[in-house]
Amino acid sequence: MTTTAPAPTTGPSSVGGEGLPIARVDNLAVSFDNGRGPRIQAVDGVRMTIYPRQTLAVVGESGCGKSVTAMSMLQLVPRPPGRFDRGNIWFDSAEGPVDLLKLSNRQMRSVRGNDIAMIFQEPMTSLNPVYTVGDQIMEAVLLHQDVSHKEAYDLAIKAMSDVGIPEPHQRIKAYPHQFSGGMRQRVMIAMALACRPRLLLADEPSTALDVTIQAQILELLVELKATRDMAVMLITHDLGVVAENADVVCVMYAGRVVEYATVFELFADPMHPYTRGLLASIPKLHERTERLVTIKEVVDNEAEFRKLPGADKGVRPWWPWHDAPADLKARDEPAGDYYLQEVRPGHWVGVWRTEAVADHESGPPDLAFRKVDSETTA
Amino acid sequence: MTTYIVRRALIMIPTLIGMTFLLFMLISLAPGDFSMALSVSGGGQMEASSRAATIAYYEDRYGLNDPIIVQYGRWLGRISPLKFGVRDQRTDKGELVRPPREVRKPALWKLFIDDLPNPPPPDLEAFAPGQEPARVYRLSANDYARTRTTYLSAATRFEVEAGRVLREQSLDKFVADDGRLDGAKPAGFEGFLFTTQRLPSEAVEALKADPDVERTFGAAVTAYTNALASRNRIAASFATKPHPEAGMPLIPRLVWLGKPDFGISVSRSRPVGALIAEALPVTLLLNAIAVPIIYFVAIPSGMLAAVRQGTWFDIASGALFVALWSVPIVWACVLALGYLANETTGLGLFPVIGLHSDDADAMRFLPSFAGGWRAGFLLDTLHHCVLPVACLTYAGFAVLSKQTRAAMLDNFNADYVRTAKAKGVSEKDVIFRHVFRNSLLPLITMFVTIFPAMLGGSVIVERVFSVPGMGSLLIDAIYLRDREVLLANAAIVGMVNMFALLLADVLYAVADPRISYK
Amino acid sequence: MSKEAPTERAPTSDAITGVHLMQGIGHQPTRGFWTEAWADVTRRPAAIAALGWLSLVIFFGAFAPFIANGHPLWVHDTETGDLSSPLVEHLSAVDVLLAAGLVVALALWFAPVPIEKQTRLRMLFFGSLQAGCSVLIAMVIDGYFGARDAPDFARQFEQTKLYKPIAAAVAGLTPALIAATILMLLRLGWHAVAAVVLGLVLGGVLHQRWDDPPDVYDYAPRAAQGEIEAVYTLIPFGPQQGETSLDLRQPGRSTLAAVIDGVVTEAAKRKGGGGFADDPRFQRKDRSPNGVSMSTVAFDDAVMEDLRAHLEFARPILREAPEDMAAQAEQLRASGELRTLADVARWLEGDDAPRFIVGTDSLGQDALSQLIHACRLSISVGLVSTSIAVVIGVTIGAIMGYFGGKIDLLLYRVVEIFMSMPVLFLLIVAAAVLPRNTYMMMIIIGCVTWTGAARFTRAEFYKLRDQDFVQSARAAGLPLWSVLFKHMLPNGVTPVLVDASFAIASAILAEAVLSYLGLGPANQASWGKLLSDATNQVGNFVWWLAIFPGLAIFLTVLAYNLIGEALRDAIDPRRKKARV
Repeated sequence: MTTTAPAPTTGPSSVGGEGLPIARVDNLAVSFDNGRGPRIQAVDGVRMTIYPRQTLAVVGESGCGKSVTAMSMLQLVPRPPGRFDRGNIWFDSAEGPVDLLKLSNRQMRSVRGNDIAMIFQEPMTSLNPVYTVGDQIMEAVLLHQDVSHKEAYDLAIKAMSDVGIPEPHQRIKAYPHQFSGGMRQRVMIAMALACRPRLLLADEPSTALDVTIQAQILELLVELKATRDMAVMLITHDLGVVAENADVVCVMYAGRVVEYATVFELFADPMHPYTRGLLASIPKLHERTERLVTIKEVVDNEAEFRKLPGADKGVRPWWPWHDAPADLKARDEPAGDYYLQEVRPGHWVGVWRTEAVADHESGPPDLAFRKVDSETTA
Repeated sequence: MTTYIVRRALIMIPTLIGMTFLLFMLISLAPGDFSMALSVSGGGQMEASSRAATIAYYEDRYGLNDPIIVQYGRWLGRISPLKFGVRDQRTDKGELVRPPREVRKPALWKLFIDDLPNPPPPDLEAFAPGQEPARVYRLSANDYARTRTTYLSAATRFEVEAGRVLREQSLDKFVADDGRLDGAKPAGFEGFLFTTQRLPSEAVEALKADPDVERTFGAAVTAYTNALASRNRIAASFATKPHPEAGMPLIPRLVWLGKPDFGISVSRSRPVGALIAEALPVTLLLNAIAVPIIYFVAIPSGMLAAVRQGTWFDIASGALFVALWSVPIVWACVLALGYLANETTGLGLFPVIGLHSDDADAMRFLPSFAGGWRAGFLLDTLHHCVLPVACLTYAGFAVLSKQTRAAMLDNFNADYVRTAKAKGVSEKDVIFRHVFRNSLLPLITMFVTIFPAMLGGSVIVERVFSVPGMGSLLIDAIYLRDREVLLANAAIVGMVNMFALLLADVLYAVADPRISYK
Repeated sequence: MSKEAPTERAPTSDAITGVHLMQGIGHQPTRGFWTEAWADVTRRPAAIAALGWLSLVIFFGAFAPFIANGHPLWVHDTETGDLSSPLVEHLSAVDVLLAAGLVVALALWFAPVPIEKQTRLRMLFFGSLQAGCSVLIAMVIDGYFGARDAPDFARQFEQTKLYKPIAAAVAGLTPALIAATILMLLRLGWHAVAAVVLGLVLGGVLHQRWDDPPDVYDYAPRAAQGEIEAVYTLIPFGPQQGETSLDLRQPGRSTLAAVIDGVVTEAAKRKGGGGFADDPRFQRKDRSPNGVSMSTVAFDDAVMEDLRAHLEFARPILREAPEDMAAQAEQLRASGELRTLADVARWLEGDDAPRFIVGTDSLGQDALSQLIHACRLSISVGLVSTSIAVVIGVTIGAIMGYFGGKIDLLLYRVVEIFMSMPVLFLLIVAAAVLPRNTYMMMIIIGCVTWTGAARFTRAEFYKLRDQDFVQSARAAGLPLWSVLFKHMLPNGVTPVLVDASFAIASAILAEAVLSYLGLGPANQASWGKLLSDATNQVGNFVWWLAIFPGLAIFLTVLAYNLIGEALRDAIDPRRKKARV
């Protein structure tokens, strides 16, 4: 479970090497224009890493910035009204490490769909209604691979059968509206995987589907991840999905990371009151309870905030609804009042940058943990 | 696909019937102006014989005594290609011959006698011994025309006398504007339901007491009997099928297919069908030039405005098109005529009148240089078309370009565009392959809005530039109070419009795979 | 996943994140949907300008008789010393109601009383609706009893003294009592009283103004004779007041134009045909038929004779006695001030006789006066016909959308029938066969153009029908009209109301087209009718009758379109959607 890497923790050389992550989000901040009101800070100082063959789950409620983080990786945030305020996203592309935020449109296009692919939440609307699914899968193949139309067709058929669409030869000529929701999501996955990307961004891929289909889609993703040696960033708000599929979990709230740990660690010992609230609000089969604890009850309880290791020394979990502690040592920079502190080896919690925290500055979150590896070693 | 079109076309039939019904009712129920009574009276200036001929024409086509709903049924039967009853016959000259109608009984006859005299059964042999059937028919037709005209004149004289008496009785309500007893039908909505109206008893007494009324009534009854005898004869002659039957039978003696018959224009004394056949291509030509122009200008500018949302081009094109949209078409036409076409007050760049020069018939089709520059028929027509087409098109730009822009912007935010971008599709391909292809659907729908507006606009354009199209025909019909032309023109324009909408529907079905043809 | 995060506390930092938005923090305070939309509209300069223009048109429309009128504001009878106001005497009931109505409306709107703007708006709307109904009923009554072919009893009754008060009372009180009954049922007692009071006022005005006194414009000759002294409004011509000898005079010419032109024509005839280079009638000197200048023609006896004759001919429109003017000309000729024809023309033109600021039409009626009076037709046709269309369309659309099924199928066929004809064709046919008056035109336009509103409402109601609040309203056993019009309509009417602005613009265009074709209301000034005079003769283009009325229609239509665009943008859901 050791994570300390000798390599630098920021900059281009922090990705792509042996034992280094495939992508590293470093201090990312994205804001949106809100007409007459103040800008909306959707993402504010987010850091995370993704290793090959790893599934990083990003968890949080609606509006917490998880989708914006993923879309930033492909520069899909509409600009304007969106804006990248600061930060980098280092990625180990075919031409070596690059900052995804600084790529030109042209360079970005060769990354999109090729190195990094993305599947979206709404399978009903994410496919173009006027083209056949075959056309849409082949479009990606033809764009990124030097193949003939015939070969692209075969690749599309292959991609469709890989994701478990029956009778791909017939279905390839069908239009999206002739597919069910689950099948459309499979088409989306086939389209995303047709070019064998090294990182797949799955933005709530199963939310809009019913439960049995959800399970099928997630199983499919796990299976494909294993066979294709790719990393998956799984964005979800379903902790069950996280427990099942993730290697590393990143909990976000209000545009910031509040907790970052391996899946075992996080479920065994959540440290941020918000995470605890999240976990407490899940019904458990083997316990009889009169009623479930809500997140609000947990985070409203001041005592919860004092349970963090080091709380006695003045380390307080960051929480936007609290007044900043009196001994805040905010740095003179954006989001300087907040810090992602490694409170225990391999377990990061978002805290106020108080005096105590300022003394114990730690590295950015960086976990190469994979469930499969731990199972084999165990 | 074919089934879809057929099904869609079948839905048109009730709509078409409803539309013509609406028109017919509107024109028939309108107080005064277009009722047949006025056409028949011809403003009181018509001579008795021509008035009788007009009455005979309308009587034949509509049955003046019948309720309006029955009249509509007859009119619809005439213009419908699907016809019911006994088939018409066609003479060797190509004229249509119809089974003769009942002779209208003299007005108020029940006041004077119990029963009208019955003529003896017709005897064709005695009337025209040894003649071939076609000749017999022609002779009896001439005879019928003569006796009927006599009868109608006699009836009119009687009605005038009766009208005089009624007016003396201060019963103006029963008297038409030209002083006749208005026995045809009560005015307005009453005529929709009833065919006779009740006279007060003292008026009946006064009518019976008046010697002139009695005398003219006697003459009318005699003429009626003669006309009826003649009518029975021509009916018998028609039954011998003197000419080959017209049309194509579907169910013998009940349903057959025939050419639509729009009647004869009273003001121009020509078949309305021929008038429309001349006017319709002109209007269609104008629109066939104008509609593509609208699309070719509006779509690219709308796309550019969407792609460059918020830039000067977006704002300027939006403002310009809204301004153009607000220019009244009458004003545009008048200004174009005054400042561009008129030679004394304007630049004189374009012709003022019509669609062709006077000598257009003598022109060659293509321009030629041999022996000096000659524009030729094609260029001459185009030159004449410039201003009318410009006046037709300018207003359409705004609607379509706004719609293009809105549809493009909608689709820019659509999820599948995000998907396409995530695949790495280039900006250009996103715009043209994905966004535009989807924005096309509302643009096809816009045709439903644009085409009727342009047909309407043609009325003004044709009127101002004296282009002899459907619009000019309609306005002339209104000014000349020509009921047949008005009805037929409006019905045909409605039909053209409906076919255009059908075309748009079919195009939509082709463009959107989500529409199933089943 | 629970949504119960703390909301009572504001976030500590000033940054607003998506989470805050989700919890309702950071949103702009809302002031009500329409207030918000209207604020958005009034933020646009173009929309402000459009509102300004429309206010101007409304102002001219309401006060037209006080701005342009052939009847003097004030007449002082020099013999008896009586003061009278022919203008006021000739005001019709509609004139009075419009002018007084606008004053009352403005007063009510800006009055510093604690009444909500919405209530004031409602009062104004229902007040004007009631007034409109009363006027319409009065028209119908007058049309029935005053008709040529009216039944005997009607004609006899019309002659009696009782006719006017009874008719006015019926017209004034019928809508008032209906409104009062409804208001009483709705337990709005004070409103009912107000409706009855308004009804009494309306009845009073209608009674006072039941008969239109004949328009006789004999003030000029009487003033010339010294019988009276008259004070006119800003524009001393009525829209219907024409003198055929003054047809198609250019802008800026005076009522003496007929005299000048007559004298010049006679002089030209004596010179052997053609005309003069500086003939005031010709716009371009180079295109006049004859290059000779009027200053080469001496003011001789023949010219004097013509002048005398033409002055006499123009007696009914001169404000000075022709003899006096002729004598004056004689005197000036003797003193050598008027030597040539050009001098005479200049002397006559320089007279302070009233001028046609934007010229006259083919009947010699002042164009400016018509332009001002036509504001009324344009505004009222736009508003009333669109209201009719909206009422019909919303009712039918609501029924279609709510019931669906067979009713929808049947009614949609009716909509299709109306849509199968180009609107303008249907309008032209209807206008051609139906009586030509303002009210009929409003009804025609309204009855032909309702399909748009019907389709919008149908689509909205279709969506609303299955929503929970409608289901619960139905489950609560509310009557159908309450479900349809109280619960669903306010939620489904937005697209119709936005479209209404464009519909008003189209109605104004339709009015212009019909009037242009001569199918507009008779005896009513109209921009379209004025425009039709611009090209009525072959090759004859009258620029002032093309530019000014056309510009008026254009600006009004543009104003409505701009407001419509602004309103559409303001309530566009695409703009409100969070784009994250």
